[in-house]
Amino acid sequence: MENPEKKPNTRGIWDWFDPRGRKVGGWGFILNRLSAIGLTVYLYLHLVMLGKLAQGPEAYDSFIAFAKQPLILFGEILVIIGGLYHGLNGIRIALNSFGVGVNAQKQLLYGVLTLTIVGSLIFGLRMIAAH
Amino acid sequence: MQNTISQPKAGESYLLWFIKIVSGLLIVVILFIHFLVNHYLAPEGLLSHAEVVAYYRNYPIVPIMEGFFLVFVVSHSLIGTRSILLDLNPKKAVMRIIDALLVLIGLVATGYGIWLLFAVINWGA
Amino acid sequence: MSEEKWTVNFVVYRKKGEGEPHYQTFTLEVSPDEYVIDGVERIWAFHDRSLVFAHACHHSTCGACGMRVNGVEKLTCITRIRDVTTNGGTLRIEPLRNFPVISDLVVDMSRLYVGMDKVHAPAVHPLSMAPLEGEGIKPPREVPMDDGKEYLRLADCIECGLCISACPIAGTAEEYLGPAVLAAAQLQGLNRAPDLTAIVDCVDGVWRCHSAYECTAVCPSNVDPGWRIMDLRRQVLAQRIRRWFGAA
Repeated sequence: MENPEKKPNTRGIWDWFDPRGRKVGGWGFILNRLSAIGLTVYLYLHLVMLGKLAQGPEAYDSFIAFAKQPLILFGEILVIIGGLYHGLNGIRIALNSFGVGVNAQKQLLYGVLTLTIVGSLIFGLRMIAAH
Repeated sequence: MQNTISQPKAGESYLLWFIKIVSGLLIVVILFIHFLVNHYLAPEGLLSHAEVVAYYRNYPIVPIMEGFFLVFVVSHSLIGTRSILLDLNPKKAVMRIIDALLVLIGLVATGYGIWLLFAVINWGA
Repeated sequence: MSEEKWTVNFVVYRKKGEGEPHYQTFTLEVSPDEYVIDGVERIWAFHDRSLVFAHACHHSTCGACGMRVNGVEKLTCITRIRDVTTNGGTLRIEPLRNFPVISDLVVDMSRLYVGMDKVHAPAVHPLSMAPLEGEGIKPPREVPMDDGKEYLRLADCIECGLCISACPIAGTAEEYLGPAVLAAAQLQGLNRAPDLTAIVDCVDGVWRCHSAYECTAVCPSNVDPGWRIMDLRRQVLAQRIRRWFGAA
């Protein structure tokens, strides 16, 4: 019966992100992976954009003026949400990995989500108000 | 699918994971200070070139902190990226190329970031 | 069992040989207090004798009847129809994920068995290891107890494979040992079986886990693989850090 060449029954990367049938921890993983990828892309874009500082006041100041458009503001708010979630969930996973609070991982995740929502609202509203 | 598990495959161990966790925690701490310093304590939120230059010159601790932040955030992002790529079960030869690329990206990003910090501090000097 | 009758559509995954997979619907009249495996057996008995599925004990001991029921991994002999659908509703029955499909609802679980052997928890013990002979089978490092200090029934793994199917990573990381195997390693304990450290502290070991805890959510035997993997990480770290300071 056994066929060592047979491929496993999987949809590959799609299974990382498919939330159907998942429980709380699975949702936590999906959000963690999405925020990780998003923040990594942002980090390197951010580094490239900061290069404008080396080009002088005109380049940097005109970039800052350009960055005030709503689409970029929306992106920045996404970075805040992703950063807050990834950071807080990282603390949860680190604690779990040292044997702390594993049996309370669901409750910890609810805490992470609550803090992410509250923090995002505070930062997001401030950013919109200052816009 | 491989039905026989080979000998333990080196390439990811406690040490990389430990560095990822420690750098992650340091990022959380420094990011908090970074936000506070750059966007709340700085009078105009560091939104003009002149203000960034003046701020970095007047408070040398700020660029030093930013330098450490850069190292932690680049390490964390690259170890994390590597971990995601390892989830795809790459062949050893492919992983060797990926490792070389990640080290290169890390070195370039860190070198570039530190050069940028000095470029800002020395602007117009 | 109540006299209540439900009409349920069993939408069953079918795949033979190299043929394309497809779904076949069987409408059955069932008691909602029957179990999902009862419906599958009835399909085989009265509708289609070519349906291939695995089952044996019917009381959650053998671990043979693991399937995905409406997208969630279930041991179908203890999953009541009432708990997973409604009268007139649908039950989508699929084979476990992350294993090769042999036929219809049966998968090749060699990946799990080979891993279990690797961490000294083989599915079948040779007669010479039986407790009456020689040293006997070593009990696990700790036998989980509930709050009343009773030993937990079925706290040991029944090798049903649900956890590997539910793990979001096991599909792409084909050589990842997976939750059941890592849980078995944790039960042995790294202090007692130091050779396991190298097996679990590697690319295919504990670091492949990304804490989705889906394994624990679907485990029918209270093994709690999620907790065990985290504990195993703690054991690996403790052992490695002790080594930094020169301890054995």
